[in-house]
Amino acid sequence: MTVITLALGSALLAADPTPILGGDFWMPPPASTFAEGLDQMFMFINWLCYFFFALIAVLMVFFVIKYHAPKGHTFRMDGPHHHMPLELTWLVIPTLLVVPIFWLGFAGSRTLGVEGYVGLTTPPRNSYEIQAIAQKWSWSFKYPNGVISDDLYIPAGEPVRMQLRAVDVLHSFYVPNFRVKRDCVPGRYGYLWFQADEPTGHSRYHHLFCAEYCGNGHSQMNRRVFVLSRTDFDAWLKNEETWLEKIDDAELYWKAGPKLFARCTSCHTLDGVSGVGPSWKGIWDRVNGGAGSDGTFLDGKTYRDLIGPGKEFATPEDYIRDSILNPANHVVKPFSPSGMPTFKGQLDDRGIDALIGMMKHLDEFDPKTAKWLKATPEQK
Amino acid sequence: MTAINANNDSVLDHTASTDNYLTHTRGFLSWALTLDHKRIGVMYLIGVLTSFLGGGIFAILLRTELLTPGPTITANPTTYNIWFTLHGAIMVFLVIIPSIPAALGNFVLPIMLGAKDVAFPRLNLFSFWLWVIGACCAIVSLLVGQFDTGWTFYVPYSTTTELGGVVPVVVGVFILGFSSIFTGMNFVVTIHKLRPPGMTWFRMPLFLWALYATALMQVLATPVLAITVLLLIVERTVGIGIFDPSLGGDPVLFQHFFWFYSHPAVYIMIVPAMGIVSELFAVHSHRHIFGYRFIAYSSVAIALFSFLVWGHHMFLSGQSPLLNTLFSAISFSVAIPSAVKVFNWTATLYKGSISLTTPMFYALAFLILFTIGGLTGLHLATLNTDVHLHDTYFVVAHFHYVMMGSAIIGMIGGLHHWWPKMTGRMYSENLGRIACVIVFIGFNITFFTQFMLGSQGMPRRYYDYQPEYQIYHVISTMGSYVMAVGFMLTAYTLLQSLWSGERAPANPWGGRSLEWQCASPPPHDNFPVQPRVGDCYDFSCLRWSEEENGYIVDRSMDPELNANAPKRAEGAR
Repeated sequence: MTVITLALGSALLAADPTPILGGDFWMPPPASTFAEGLDQMFMFINWLCYFFFALIAVLMVFFVIKYHAPKGHTFRMDGPHHHMPLELTWLVIPTLLVVPIFWLGFAGSRTLGVEGYVGLTTPPRNSYEIQAIAQKWSWSFKYPNGVISDDLYIPAGEPVRMQLRAVDVLHSFYVPNFRVKRDCVPGRYGYLWFQADEPTGHSRYHHLFCAEYCGNGHSQMNRRVFVLSRTDFDAWLKNEETWLEKIDDAELYWKAGPKLFARCTSCHTLDGVSGVGPSWKGIWDRVNGGAGSDGTFLDGKTYRDLIGPGKEFATPEDYIRDSILNPANHVVKPFSPSGMPTFKGQLDDRGIDALIGMMKHLDEFDPKTAKWLKATPEQK
Repeated sequence: MTAINANNDSVLDHTASTDNYLTHTRGFLSWALTLDHKRIGVMYLIGVLTSFLGGGIFAILLRTELLTPGPTITANPTTYNIWFTLHGAIMVFLVIIPSIPAALGNFVLPIMLGAKDVAFPRLNLFSFWLWVIGACCAIVSLLVGQFDTGWTFYVPYSTTTELGGVVPVVVGVFILGFSSIFTGMNFVVTIHKLRPPGMTWFRMPLFLWALYATALMQVLATPVLAITVLLLIVERTVGIGIFDPSLGGDPVLFQHFFWFYSHPAVYIMIVPAMGIVSELFAVHSHRHIFGYRFIAYSSVAIALFSFLVWGHHMFLSGQSPLLNTLFSAISFSVAIPSAVKVFNWTATLYKGSISLTTPMFYALAFLILFTIGGLTGLHLATLNTDVHLHDTYFVVAHFHYVMMGSAIIGMIGGLHHWWPKMTGRMYSENLGRIACVIVFIGFNITFFTQFMLGSQGMPRRYYDYQPEYQIYHVISTMGSYVMAVGFMLTAYTLLQSLWSGERAPANPWGGRSLEWQCASPPPHDNFPVQPRVGDCYDFSCLRWSEEENGYIVDRSMDPELNANAPKRAEGAR
C-alpha cells in the first residue's frame, strides 16, 4: 500500500513539469545548437533596421519642423528636383546591403557566428531518427524501437532528425526554443534536424506547437519536448517499450487506461461536454442498450440497431474496437466523419482492452483530477 | 488644339460648379446604371468603406477573444476561426484590393488625365456590379454555413472542412477577381489612349504611374487566382483530385497557384498607396517631387519583381531547398525599389513648404509605418531567420504594417486629400489630424507588440495560447480599441463635413495636377474644354487666395501655360 502511494506520489511530481521560459526581449531561450547562430542573424538585421528607421524618422521630423510653412506662405522654389549621384547612392547601398544578408541567411558564417540555412537543413549522417505523424489534432512520435509517444522525448547532445508527415491536412512542427519549423504535408515526407545539448529532465520541457492552421483544435496541438541525457533516454525508451506488457491483466485498465486516454483528450471529454467528438460520459450505457442507446448515427441507425447478437457488432467491445480502428465507419450525430483519425498501428489489442476497461469503470474515475477515486482497482 | 483656351479652364469658372456630377441627374437608377466614372468611384467607395467596417468588427471580436488564454467571449474555437477568416477575406478581397484603384482611382484617374471618362465606361459599371455580386456571395456563404479556412483557402483543409460556406465564398472570390481584371484593363487602355496632348508618360502624375503598374498586375495575375479557385470548387464538389493527396493530388501545388496570384496581389494593394503618397508629399510640401523618374520606374520594377517572389511564402512547405534559395535571393530585390521610394519621399520634404494638413499627417504616418513594415520584411526574406518567424505573429505584424499601416493609411490619406473634390465640402482639419494621430498610436500599440509576440514563438491563427504570451495579447488588444476609436472619429469627421462642412474651393491644398483645375465637386463632364497640361509638380505659379479660400494658378507665372511656350518633351525636369 505504501509502495503504491509512493509510486503515485512520484508520478504526480513527474506529471507537473514546467515549460522553459525566459530568453531576451526578442527571442525565447536558445536551446538547440544553432539557436544562437540564428539569433545572431536576427540581431544583425535588427541593427540594420534600427539604423535605417532612425535615419528616416529623424530626417522626416527635422524636415517637417524646418520647412513647415503656414497657409498662404509663399512657396520656396529652391528644392532640387532630382540629384543623380544621391539617388544612385540610395539605389546602390541597399543593393549592396541585401547581398550579404541573403548570403549570411543562406550559407551562414563561422566567423560572425551565424548559422545558415544550409546548416539548418543538412542533418548529420549519424542523426537519431524519430518519425512525427501529425493529425487533427495530435502528434505521434515514433522511435526506432517502435515506441510511440504523445510528447517528444529526445536524447541530449545528439543530432536528432525528425521525419515529418501528416495524415489529414497541413500541419507544421515548431519548437520555438530550438528555432526549427517545417510543414507536415499529407502525401509527402519532410524532415528537419536539431541538437539540444542541455537536458531538461522529466521536470521541465520546451513547447512544441503546430504552426500551420488546421482547424478547430489547431491551438490545442501543442505538446512538450523533453531532452533527456542518454542514460535517462534509454531508460525511458525501455520503459515505454514494455510498460503495457508489464501491467497485470487485472490492473490493465486501471493503470494503462488513463495514460492512453491522454491521447484522446483533445477531442473527447469525460464530463459530458461535447468536444470535437462525443464525450465518453455514459458511453458504456449507450453501447449496452442503456440510457442514450437510442442515439442516432449519421446514417439514421441507432446504437441498438448496430450492437447486439446477430447485428453488425455482436458485442459492445466489437463496436468500440471498430470505432477506434475505423472511425469513419459509423459516426454519431452530429459529429463529422473526418473528425477522428484511425489509430490502426498505434494502439494494439492490449491498449484497446485497457481503454474499453476504463470505459466500463468511468464512474470510479474523477474527470477533474484525471485520477481514479479509489487507490486500487476493484476485484471482480 | 484650337479648343484650348487659357482663360476658359480657370478655377474661377463658377458656372461649372452649379451643375456637378452629384446633382446632374437624380434618382436611384441614375446612380445604379450610371456610366460616370465619378459616381462609380463613389459607389465603390461606399461599398469598400462598409466592408471595412465589417472587417473591422471581426478584427475587434478576435482581438477581444485573445485577451485571455482559453475562452474569452466564445467557447468554440471554430467561431474564432470563422472570425479571423472573415476578417482576412473581407479586408483583402472586398476592401484593400478594390479600395484605391476602384474607388479613388476610378474617381481621380480620368480627371487627372483631363479626360471625360475612362476608356470603357460600361465595362467600368459592369466591374462595379461584379463587385456587388461577389460581396453578395460572401454574405450567402455566411448564411449557408460560413467558412473557417483562413483567407488563403489552403487545401486539403478547405476541401474537407465541414462548414458549407466554402464554395459560395470562393465563387465570390472568382467574381471579385473579374471585377478587378476589368478595372485593370480599363485603366491600362485609358492611360494609353486618353492622355491629353502634351501629357507624355513622364509628365503623368505619379499616382497614374502607380495605377498603371497596379493595373498590369491585376490583368496578369488575377486570372491565375480564377483558375485556382475554380480547381478548388471542382475538387470540393466533384471530387477530382488536383490538390488533395488522398485523391492523388498535391497540396503544395495549390500553394504555388495561390501565391502566384496573391504575392502580386499584395503589391496590387500597396503600389497604388505608394502612388497616393507620392502625390500627398508633393502637393502638401508644395515642392516638386524628388526624383520623379526613380519613383515611376520603381513602381514598374515592383510590379515586375512581384511575379518572381511568390515562393517565399512557401519556404517551409516542402518546396526544394534550391527553390527556397532562389526565391530568397529574388525577394530581396523588392527591397531596393521600396527603399528608393522611401528615400525619395523623405527628400521631397527637403526645402519644401510643408502644410501640416490631415492628408500630410497620413503621408507622414505612412512613411513611418511603411519603413517599419518594409524593414521587417528583411527578417522574413532571410532564409535562416524565416525558419523561426514563419507562421508566427511576426508575420502577422509585418503584413499588417504593410497592408494596413501602409495600404489602408495611404488610402485614407488619399480619401482626405480628394474628399473636398469628391464631395465639395471641407472637413474639420483639427478633428482629422487628431483622428490620424489616434489611429497611428493605436496601430503601433496593436501591431508592434505582435513583432515580439511572434519572435517569442507564438504561432498565428491560435484561439488559445500559453499564459506567458498573455501580456502581449492584452497590450495588442488595447491598441486595437484605441485604433477603433480613431477610425470612428475619422468617420465622424468626414460624415460631419457632408452636413456642416464649408464649401470646398477647387484647389484647397495647392495641387497642380489637373483634378485641382476643375470645380469641387467636378461637373458631369469634368472639364468644359480640355485643360492645358503643365508640369503637375511645378508649384511656382500657385497663389493663396483668401477670396477663394483656396489656391489659384497665377497664369502669368507659368511658362508652360503661356500660350507661346514650346512644349518640352521631358516635363519632369
